[in-house]
Amino acid sequence: MAVNGIIEIHNLSFFRGDRAIFKDIDVSIAAGKITAIMGPSGTGKTTLLRLIGGQLQPHQGEVQLFGKNIAQLKRKQLNQLRGRMGVLFQSGALFTDLTVFENVAFPLREHTQLNDQQLHDQVLLKLEAVGLRGARDLMPSHLSGGMARRVALARAVALEPEIILYDEPFAGQDPIAMAVLQRLIKHLNDQMQLTSVLVSHDIAEACAIADRVILLGEGRVLAHDTPEALQTSTDPAVRQFMHGEADGVIPFHFPAPPLATELLCDPASGADKHGGLL
Amino acid sequence: MINLIAALGEQLLQRLALIGQALLMLLQSLRVLPGKHGLSRLTQQLYVVGVQSLIIMLVSALFIGMVLGLQGYTLLSAYGSEQAVGQMVALTLVRELSPVVAALLFAGRAGSALTAEIGLMKATEQLASLEMFGVDPLHRIVAPRFLAGLICLPLLVAIFSVVGIYGGYIVAVDWLGVYSGSYWGNMQQAVDFGEDVINGMIKALVFAFVVSWIALYQGYSCVPTSQGISAATTRTVVYSSLAILGFDFILTALMFGGA
Repeated sequence: MAVNGIIEIHNLSFFRGDRAIFKDIDVSIAAGKITAIMGPSGTGKTTLLRLIGGQLQPHQGEVQLFGKNIAQLKRKQLNQLRGRMGVLFQSGALFTDLTVFENVAFPLREHTQLNDQQLHDQVLLKLEAVGLRGARDLMPSHLSGGMARRVALARAVALEPEIILYDEPFAGQDPIAMAVLQRLIKHLNDQMQLTSVLVSHDIAEACAIADRVILLGEGRVLAHDTPEALQTSTDPAVRQFMHGEADGVIPFHFPAPPLATELLCDPASGADKHGGLL
Repeated sequence: MINLIAALGEQLLQRLALIGQALLMLLQSLRVLPGKHGLSRLTQQLYVVGVQSLIIMLVSALFIGMVLGLQGYTLLSAYGSEQAVGQMVALTLVRELSPVVAALLFAGRAGSALTAEIGLMKATEQLASLEMFGVDPLHRIVAPRFLAGLICLPLLVAIFSVVGIYGGYIVAVDWLGVYSGSYWGNMQQAVDFGEDVINGMIKALVFAFVVSWIALYQGYSCVPTSQGISAATTRTVVYSSLAILGFDFILTALMFGGA
């Protein structure tokens, strides 16, 4: 806690229903670095991003961005803070009723007073950086998945943010698109001196560009280290994830009562609990 | 028995909480005045919600007017008073059928589309991404659509009445030979502007409020999956229809019940 990162999470707990997604975790993300948040599906990686973005409120503990506790900010202040932060959503989340150009122009129109010429130039520069200047007049429905994500990336960096959050940037991409995205993320981080936080379960791709890796599992931080250190870690849970082993300490089953008790119980009473009319 | 009462109470509380949430959504979306592009966004929604609903309204109104003319003529001619068909058509439309039928069609045509649109925006993270750009989706997405609904439905109801009356004219006058002067004359005498036209418009406004509100809330609060959106769209049409018919009875009782 002594050396403050640009994103600081203290004693954070978060629940969905009765299930604890996070139990009392502490995370510190250093400025200027690429930090990968990894872990098996369902460990709350995306939830953590949403907590950082202030879209979800922690049930306990706090999230600090640029040294400010975001739960205590007024809406206006929070929106200002969000102007310093870009997010690349898993689906790209382009506005389907706007062209590629207008999508990238959107944050500029909202947060700056640029005139039409400046706006035009800015948008084209951002699109050029992701190699899609020629696609500016297309609608999002005419883009491939990889292209949509690159446009979304151009939009996310349009305001030249200080932090950029990537939600599963590599999921469902072909090898070429993956390599392109990898290069772009690395390039943007170094060029613009960004702090990049990327959530992923593509170990090889994420480790190749990440400076630090935070490994989540079972509601807590399993490890926070450099990718190299994690590759050679002897911790059984870390090993299991990093080397993709099916059997290990991380359970394959969703929490449930023992199989024997469920098999032997009366199905009628069981159905009553799960089925029902409403 | 006690369990039953408890369950009933729980259901009631849940429903009340939902209504509260819906109310909060509405208040929050209308809290801020529209920004500099507010008017162009509203115009766009007026087109989508209103202009694109015109065809279905025009066709339905014409046929309903024609049916009213035909039924009215058959009924009234048994008493030799077929000259009164004009006032019958006009009063039925202006007081009841135009607001109710137009609102039902509006719920099916525009309401379901609003729910599906907003539900899909939620599912594709467009609402979340607006929020991350520091733009309140309630203000940007919900408010212009709500206002558009509020403006469009009363106008559509007025158009519905006009076209319906003309449909009645085609059947009663052009086809069945009622004297044109008495069709219009009786109508003019019987339809009171304040009592009938304004009251009909008040109904239209109430239905517009209810349908737009239900449609937007269902879209905004839906479970962002294909099943969730389909269920929300269905709920929009079902709840809107029930609300329209229920409110229609209450409003009719208040407006015309005493006299």
